[in-house]
Amino acid sequence: MAAFHAAGSAAPYAGLKVVELAEDVGGEFLGRMLAEMGADVIKAEPPAGSPTRALGPFAKHVESPDTSLTFWLYNSNKRSVVVDLEKGAEAALAPLLAGADIFIVTLQPARLKALDLDLDRLSARYPRLIIASMTPYGLTGPWADYRSSNLVALAGGGPLNMCGYDDHSIPPINPGGDQAYHAATAFAHIGVLVALLHRQQTGEGQLLDVSMHGANAVNQELGNPFWFYNGVNVQRQTCRHAQPVMTQSAMFACADGHYVYYTLILGDTRAWNVLVEWMDEMGLAAMLTDPEYQDIKFRQDNFHQIQELVECFFLVQDGHDAYLEGQRRGLPIGIMNTPEDLLDDEHLQAREFFVKVDMGPEQGEILFPGDSYRFSAFGSVPRRRAPRLGEHTSEFLEDVAA
Amino acid sequence: MGQSPKAAERAVAVAAAAADPARRPRSSFGPLAGVRVADFCWMGVGACATRILGDFGAEVIRIEDRNRLDMPRVLPIYKGAGARNYGEGDPDPDPNAGGLFNNYNRNKLGVTINMRDPRGRALCERLIASSSVVTENFAPGVMERWGLTYDYIRTLTPNPIMARMSGFGHSGPHADFKSYGPVVQAVSGLSFISGLPGREPSGWGLSYMDNMAAFYNGAALLMAIYHRNQTGEGTEIDVSAIEAGINLLGPILLDVTVNGRRTKDDPNYPLGNRVEYPNAAPHGVYPVRGEDRWIAISVFDEAGWAALVAELGNPDWAGEARFATQARRFEHQDALDALVGEATATRERYDLMHRLQARGVAAAVVQTPEDVNEHDPQLAQSGVFFDLDHPVIGRARFEGTPIRFSKTTQDYWRSAPLLGEDNHYVFTELLGLSEDEYQTYAAEGVI
Repeated sequence: MAAFHAAGSAAPYAGLKVVELAEDVGGEFLGRMLAEMGADVIKAEPPAGSPTRALGPFAKHVESPDTSLTFWLYNSNKRSVVVDLEKGAEAALAPLLAGADIFIVTLQPARLKALDLDLDRLSARYPRLIIASMTPYGLTGPWADYRSSNLVALAGGGPLNMCGYDDHSIPPINPGGDQAYHAATAFAHIGVLVALLHRQQTGEGQLLDVSMHGANAVNQELGNPFWFYNGVNVQRQTCRHAQPVMTQSAMFACADGHYVYYTLILGDTRAWNVLVEWMDEMGLAAMLTDPEYQDIKFRQDNFHQIQELVECFFLVQDGHDAYLEGQRRGLPIGIMNTPEDLLDDEHLQAREFFVKVDMGPEQGEILFPGDSYRFSAFGSVPRRRAPRLGEHTSEFLEDVAA
Repeated sequence: MGQSPKAAERAVAVAAAAADPARRPRSSFGPLAGVRVADFCWMGVGACATRILGDFGAEVIRIEDRNRLDMPRVLPIYKGAGARNYGEGDPDPDPNAGGLFNNYNRNKLGVTINMRDPRGRALCERLIASSSVVTENFAPGVMERWGLTYDYIRTLTPNPIMARMSGFGHSGPHADFKSYGPVVQAVSGLSFISGLPGREPSGWGLSYMDNMAAFYNGAALLMAIYHRNQTGEGTEIDVSAIEAGINLLGPILLDVTVNGRRTKDDPNYPLGNRVEYPNAAPHGVYPVRGEDRWIAISVFDEAGWAALVAELGNPDWAGEARFATQARRFEHQDALDALVGEATATRERYDLMHRLQARGVAAAVVQTPEDVNEHDPQLAQSGVFFDLDHPVIGRARFEGTPIRFSKTTQDYWRSAPLLGEDNHYVFTELLGLSEDEYQTYAAEGVI
């Protein structure tokens, strides 16, 4: 199948109006996802700008509200309108919410109360509006106003317990990127779609209460099932699955300083033979070609010796060579790419994954990651740079006045 | 696979379940009511995606192969299996006892079809013809081998949606590369960006990208259904888990594309539990009382620092000049983390968490699955975990949707199907096989 080339239809969210009152990257990522698929997303910002504008890294290391790469990444394709909530939140938001389809709001209950912004009341006032509340712990419950951060959310939700090193004197280690927020965003997007389908069916909007804590608690893959069924907790292990017992390393260092990921499954005779043939061709199979290694039990009994030979085998190759050759032979092996490696990846280039975004005369064109899903019937909308603070305030006021 | 000595016993269990009125398929409600899905998805990533459709009212019919059982059916994750890793399976696992399968396949019907038999292929096409959505996550080429391309499926059913989920996507030179969660995490960069500086990456202790790719696939399917409801138009969907993963790297990717940052030889990268932006400190995971017990603490400002210091009993070191400002604390994090860790090490984990939170400091116990399920009042009140009965497994717990909807009702109507549990219902009542044909197909291994 060839890559899809954006077909005729408009992106699915075309015509939808979204108001985003988001102070963290989770809410902003949801707004971006909607904008990329055609929605008109207005980011309501306080006069001082969204707190994410103060987060680095900064373009060319120049700190300013309009050069935050965090802000750029999570706010492409939006419009920025300055709204001062301190002067009466509901009244200030009213011009934006009139005619809006979706309202993204990340404020926790105490903040909402302080601003006298009652989401149930809003939901009643705008019956077709879908309100996506995205908060650290949800709108109810004993922890509803507890504070959070990406690290704290991964800890409380459970994924952090699964990540780190074999050496348990080292604490669990954060997996990179703001993944606690990203998990909440993934669920919030699903929730918004469910609400849009519900509205197609019934005409009514509703209030969604998305909990980042809950999103992370159900995002542990094997962690919960091992507890539900086996009644055991999993233990973190270096760069491989946390499991009830410790297993062998699946990460192999290569000659050029890269690592590859490969799980040696001794019970899989087909994969074993493919690996040994490959090692043998490179003159590195040693005794693994001996007939007794055809016996699974024998392989299991000699696991450490096998592991050492495989370590040596990868250590004399460059990472990318081992990756491509292993995959050519049908083994599920992965190169551990750095972010900068991705720009040179021939597969991503062939799929035209990275896209150029024009950041204006000062910054020029830069590369952004492209779509996470592709459709034959419609494309996403072209990426537009994140807005400068208040860039669209006057335009919006003129629209309202018109 | 040879016939299990327990085959007869297992067949009795399936027959009993199929005859149980409480498990009989019934008309669904919800925003996807009326959408039938011919679901070829398997493993975690595929099943987790179509679970979303079943949770909101779609009639998801899982098509399985008796001769190539879905891995989650046979992993040693079942009641009584004890502490084993997932590679230590049984020689003759009961495919109906698998806990991971149950977790991923609630609210779905289950049928078996032998695609090596032409009658099985024809039956499968009848199922697709009565469906409007087809989903799959096989290795690239499998659907093509059966002739089930999007173009062909369009001749079977009008305006279909066909979702194809894979590691690398269905075009490009690496389209046929093999992958599963950890490989996707490695290739997308998510593993490399995770770890302590100066050490090997610690990466991921879970197939994060199986879950996240499933959620992206679920969203893509919902988007396609929404679009079809608006326009009448179907679509093929191509999701590459690796591309979804790259979108999750965060601003580090723009630091590379805009500022030319090199992470590979940077002695201060990755960041471990610290953050570069803002200059938060202390920001880490610290020991608490007990074996391998930890608490995560994030301090972003002077108020947070004052609150933490007060909770730790105003130790003398907190007044040292090197910790006097946020910038200085950030600069001296190695020393600061060691001192904070010494102070927390004697504290009870939940007591410290709640006391810090009461003072306005972001803190959470590093919770285990046991903690999340048994010791967390916030999750308990949310109802995100719930229980369902299962004919072989008994009562079991499930991971629900971490969203409360004010209007939409989620219908958790049934635990996962036993192998072929819904064959009779689907093949005779929905697709119109006669009883005789059904019995012949069953006897001759077509289903």
